[in-house]
Amino acid sequence: MLEGIIIGLTTAITPMNLVFVIVGCLVGTFIGMLPGLGPMSAIALMIPIAASLEPSAGIILMAAVYYGAIFGGSTSSILINAPGVASTVATSFDGYPMAKAGKAGKALAIAAYSSFSGGVIAALFLIIAAPFLASVSLSFQSTDYFALMVLGLVSVAAFAGSGGVVKALLMTVIGLMLSTVGTDQTQGIPRFTLGMIDLIDGISFLLLVMATFALSEALMAILKPKNDEDRMKEKDASQNLGSMAVSKEEVQEMVPVIGRSSVLGFLVGVLPGAGATIASFLAYGTEQRIAGAKKGAEFGKGSVRGLSAPETANNAAATGSFVPLLTLGIPGSGTTAIMLGALIGYGIQPGPRLYIDQPEVFWSVIVSMWIGNIVLLILNLPLIPYIARVLAIPSRFLLPFILFFSLIGVYFVSFNTFDIQLMVIFAIAAVTLRLLDFPMAPMILGFILGGMMEENLRRALLINNDSWSFLWERELTLIILGLAVAALFVPVIVPFVRRYKKQAEKAGDNE
Amino acid sequence: MFLSKDRIGGALLLLFCITYALLIRDIRLLPFQANASFTARTMPEVLSVLGVGLSLWIILLPANRDKPVFTGYKWTTSILFLVLMSVYGLTIRYLGFIFSTSAFLMIGFALLGERKPLTIILAAVPLVFLFWLMMSKGLNIYLAPLPEFFGLGR
Repeated sequence: MLEGIIIGLTTAITPMNLVFVIVGCLVGTFIGMLPGLGPMSAIALMIPIAASLEPSAGIILMAAVYYGAIFGGSTSSILINAPGVASTVATSFDGYPMAKAGKAGKALAIAAYSSFSGGVIAALFLIIAAPFLASVSLSFQSTDYFALMVLGLVSVAAFAGSGGVVKALLMTVIGLMLSTVGTDQTQGIPRFTLGMIDLIDGISFLLLVMATFALSEALMAILKPKNDEDRMKEKDASQNLGSMAVSKEEVQEMVPVIGRSSVLGFLVGVLPGAGATIASFLAYGTEQRIAGAKKGAEFGKGSVRGLSAPETANNAAATGSFVPLLTLGIPGSGTTAIMLGALIGYGIQPGPRLYIDQPEVFWSVIVSMWIGNIVLLILNLPLIPYIARVLAIPSRFLLPFILFFSLIGVYFVSFNTFDIQLMVIFAIAAVTLRLLDFPMAPMILGFILGGMMEENLRRALLINNDSWSFLWERELTLIILGLAVAALFVPVIVPFVRRYKKQAEKAGDNE
Repeated sequence: MFLSKDRIGGALLLLFCITYALLIRDIRLLPFQANASFTARTMPEVLSVLGVGLSLWIILLPANRDKPVFTGYKWTTSILFLVLMSVYGLTIRYLGFIFSTSAFLMIGFALLGERKPLTIILAAVPLVFLFWLMMSKGLNIYLAPLPEFFGLGR
């Protein structure tokens, strides 16, 4: 392990890679702060640049952008009560009241210290957990991988919340369908190309991500612009931050919260599909429950604990979500799905072999997490008063630039104008589905995993003489598939059971 | 609400899944694959069944019965932006990077309410030129800067 850390350090601490970490954190913070644009869009916008770098540098850049974007999202949550992404919604519960009370600087500092601690502690857990899981997963066969992919896809849908499970599942299937467009990988047969040469190679992952996230976010902002009051609020917030000092008592209050929320966040992040949003809400709820009556009552009114818990947990979960990506090659969230796509673009197949075949990539990603978190704390925090001015840039200038960067990012990779037209079509579809409350992240996950899933299924059938019996004959496959079934049905069944119990209790009372 | 958000979305995706299912017939199979258990059609067939089934589930048992709201949105501006993006895609080669991108951004600023011509020009042209310089000279990504018909672009 020590050898690995040294490999990671020597790769990550080259002057060029350090520049990428710093630039990535700054750019990520800048993009993440723009309301509506979250880590997914930030990473998507970086892919064309990362593609021109060597794999380690590219991944380091994207990881830095990821952390920066999460940090930036927290900043806009605290300052203007506009979380860029769902994972920073819980941050706004206590961060915004604190900012309203004239303590915006303090709230940003607490958020930064908590994010830093959560990220650093979780990276330590990652160092311990990832190699262990990677060595275990070396014994996995195609059948297990197929089952794991089913589990990953189903879990994302299962965590979609009540009422959203079926929609998330359908969007996953749509993503899988889109992944079948183009030439079939093993047999060379064109599928769903509609006779167009431009579709022979399939739909580009970057194109789909840019169209469904960056383009559609910008189009949604054009479709429903903010009112003048909100704009004034953003301008004021970016100019008056107040002191960033945190008192000794506040630090004492934060330390145990950070410890608990880091563990919780990391564990939730490791679960495929759960991610930073669930981690932040869970940590917030847990702290509120254990805070006691007096401190608990402060939650929602500017509580230090209420701000520290979700901030620690969402960063720890972001780190935790790298565990399944790096060790199994299965992304646990939409963001890591985009990273997986980028890795595949480099010709790198994440999974247990990554740890053995390309240790420099594996370890440099982990080490860059520490460096990224340090950069966020020592560089971004003091710069926040200046970066926050981005909130004052009028959207009439910002939005056309976001559209331009999204379009040109895809065009730079293929130099095919057909891709721009295809992006427009996908953006129309994405905006329509967003307006109808259909989630986009499961579709991206389905799209990324589609090719691998088909390949593993095909291989599993080949090994088993065209028999589907591997689904129930191999124990590990059966256990993973059992977990997938449980992940799918538990969220559906639990509300029914609760309702039944309530009705039974009511009937009992009446008797 | 009969025409709820879920139902409309479900119906649109059902249409997509049915079209997808119909297009499976166009996937040609090799002669020896007639009895194979896994062909290029297998995955699409499974997916189309799942897709149609889930779409029907959403249509028949919608979890969300909210009525879609179409008012309060800037439809015209959004549609104009979609047209602008498409035209940008068609003209980027013909007009060259600097001309087409500057025009794209300037029209974009104007569509979103900027009315001062000087501000529009200053916010677009210098940045586009700098971007082109960075890409072509810094990263060696060649982009024809000027229109083809000038004879200078290449």
